[in-house]
Amino acid sequence: MQKKWDILAVGVHDTKNQLFQAEAMTADLERRLGVDLGEVRYVIESAAASLSRTLNAYRLFTDERALPLTPVVVADLLDEVALDLRQHLARAGLTLTVDGAVDEQWLLDRERVIMLLDNALQNAGRYARQEIRLSATLADDGLCLRVEDDGPGFDSIPPAHGGVGLMLAERITHLHERQGRHGRLALTNGGALGGACVTFWLP
Amino acid sequence: MVDYTKKRFLVIDDQKLAREALRTVAQNMGAFLVEFSSSYPDAIHRIRNNAPDVVLCDYILGDGRSGQQLLEELRRFNLLPDETIFIMVTGEQSYEQVVAAVELVPDDYLIKPFAPDKLMLRLDRLTARKEFFQPFYAAKRRNDHARALALLADGLKSDAGRPYRFESLRYMAETQLRAGQAAAAEATYRSVLEMAALPWARAGLARTLHRQQRLDEARSEIDPVVAAQPDFFDAADLKAAICLDQGEPEEAQRVLDMVARRTPRNYVRKRLLAEAAALNGDMKTANAVMQEVLANDSMPGAVTVQDKLAMARSQIGENHMLDAARTLALLTEPELQHLALPERASYTALLYLCSPSKGKTRFAGLRPALLEAPLPAIARCDVLRAALVLGDNELADYHAKSLMAGEEAKRVFPLVRALYSARQRADDFRDLQRQAALARIHH
Repeated sequence: MQKKWDILAVGVHDTKNQLFQAEAMTADLERRLGVDLGEVRYVIESAAASLSRTLNAYRLFTDERALPLTPVVVADLLDEVALDLRQHLARAGLTLTVDGAVDEQWLLDRERVIMLLDNALQNAGRYARQEIRLSATLADDGLCLRVEDDGPGFDSIPPAHGGVGLMLAERITHLHERQGRHGRLALTNGGALGGACVTFWLP
Repeated sequence: MVDYTKKRFLVIDDQKLAREALRTVAQNMGAFLVEFSSSYPDAIHRIRNNAPDVVLCDYILGDGRSGQQLLEELRRFNLLPDETIFIMVTGEQSYEQVVAAVELVPDDYLIKPFAPDKLMLRLDRLTARKEFFQPFYAAKRRNDHARALALLADGLKSDAGRPYRFESLRYMAETQLRAGQAAAAEATYRSVLEMAALPWARAGLARTLHRQQRLDEARSEIDPVVAAQPDFFDAADLKAAICLDQGEPEEAQRVLDMVARRTPRNYVRKRLLAEAAALNGDMKTANAVMQEVLANDSMPGAVTVQDKLAMARSQIGENHMLDAARTLALLTEPELQHLALPERASYTALLYLCSPSKGKTRFAGLRPALLEAPLPAIARCDVLRAALVLGDNELADYHAKSLMAGEEAKRVFPLVRALYSARQRADDFRDLQRQAALARIHH
């Protein structure tokens, strides 16, 4: 099993190194030529994120190890997710608002939670009319991270075509465990913007 | 927003293209100066001589080394100022497991690929954090533990300190340990563990229990950390130290051997392995490992008098007397002149053992001092061994009794018993043990 993992991981690592070089070259071109290549960089980052998601899915469903939890400042986490996607969403005519004054540390798997939120925001971006909202609150002795849009909402819950993304989101949320409590994922319609609402609750 | 045009960056990566990519990212942020390092020794040299403001270090450094090993060495030898921001750059998401577990962590890590604005966001946050802790860093440098702890306590109570709670608690526990307040450090680590089962906190707790000589409790805390976190090498070192103090040199050697294989250029660990092997009576391993250390540890000032004495000790253990004499001859005249009593005691004892004609007079000359001054366990063992060979039972028994009455009794017991048995004095040793035990009871 470890050998299969090593083969996959090495392949992904090498590919991501090359994508990193492509990203750096693109950013350099932007700076030198004064052009906006944000969408090109977004596509490169999305390709890398997709590779990470695939590798993560493989690992999370085959590896019993606990998630690596580190203290993360929640407000910083939201800022970073917004940085990844705000411009891309703006190019699609969508406004992303971030509402979360949880200015303290929470123990979570930072990279995987960023991946979850990126994924949820990208999905919201496909269906939103004008607005998407990313928020963080404290509730039920846990942290609620919520992505809401003003689109038509989910056709069905659970969605008919949830795919790897939804499966991974449920698994990652569940694996956030503290003092016997596991994280939960909830999909609802309505919310603050009237459309779809994805809530990740982490203990 | 931080002005990066005034910041010096150091990019450490053994791959040219990757270095160029990181340089481009740093320059796009407006970095004032971006320097490169393509190798581990060069990186240490640069940081030691002129520490940069920001280090971007790749996790994989080639030649069997990693950025994590580099970081641990920099922190262990205090070569990296607290104010320098150290970011590990990696394509390996598995590095998160390392960061979540270990005590010596970078300020942050970044998964490739990442955009310049992401690096800038992270650096802004890290700069703010460094500024928050700056008064603490200054107090720490002055070894003003009371002030350092007061600053951390204030920070924990303040709103400004809320985003840095875990760092504050970790710094607090580490400072308490440095200040010799093991019980207070224990309480701090326990408070972290109440919030989350973090491996570094559990290892820290084990360390505080070890300091308080609560060895069984220390062992019960460190064993699961080592089992669950194979990349947490410092935890393995701690377990080995606890095992040695528990009188289990075989387990100490086994653990150290396992991690030393994965960190072949960590010569601090190799020295620990040699010590465990020597206490375990495995002089062949002790000898081989110390030879490797002396031949390969190229850090300036790394090979010490103690290393040469350890080498000679293991050679004597293997009956390679000529080699031991040659090793002792490596000590320079200035080194010999500046030997403190413990090292002088070891030197003369070992010299007598491998070269009786040269060493006998010196050893005899030191005898009065050897019967009075307190010595560390390792020097006592050397003196005891030489005294037994010489037939000086008074000197040998004096040191054996001191060893058996001291905190390191369990650690050295197998070795001392073997030395007495080799001289057909096993019964005498049992009597000495009994006397030491009675003295402890009456104390």
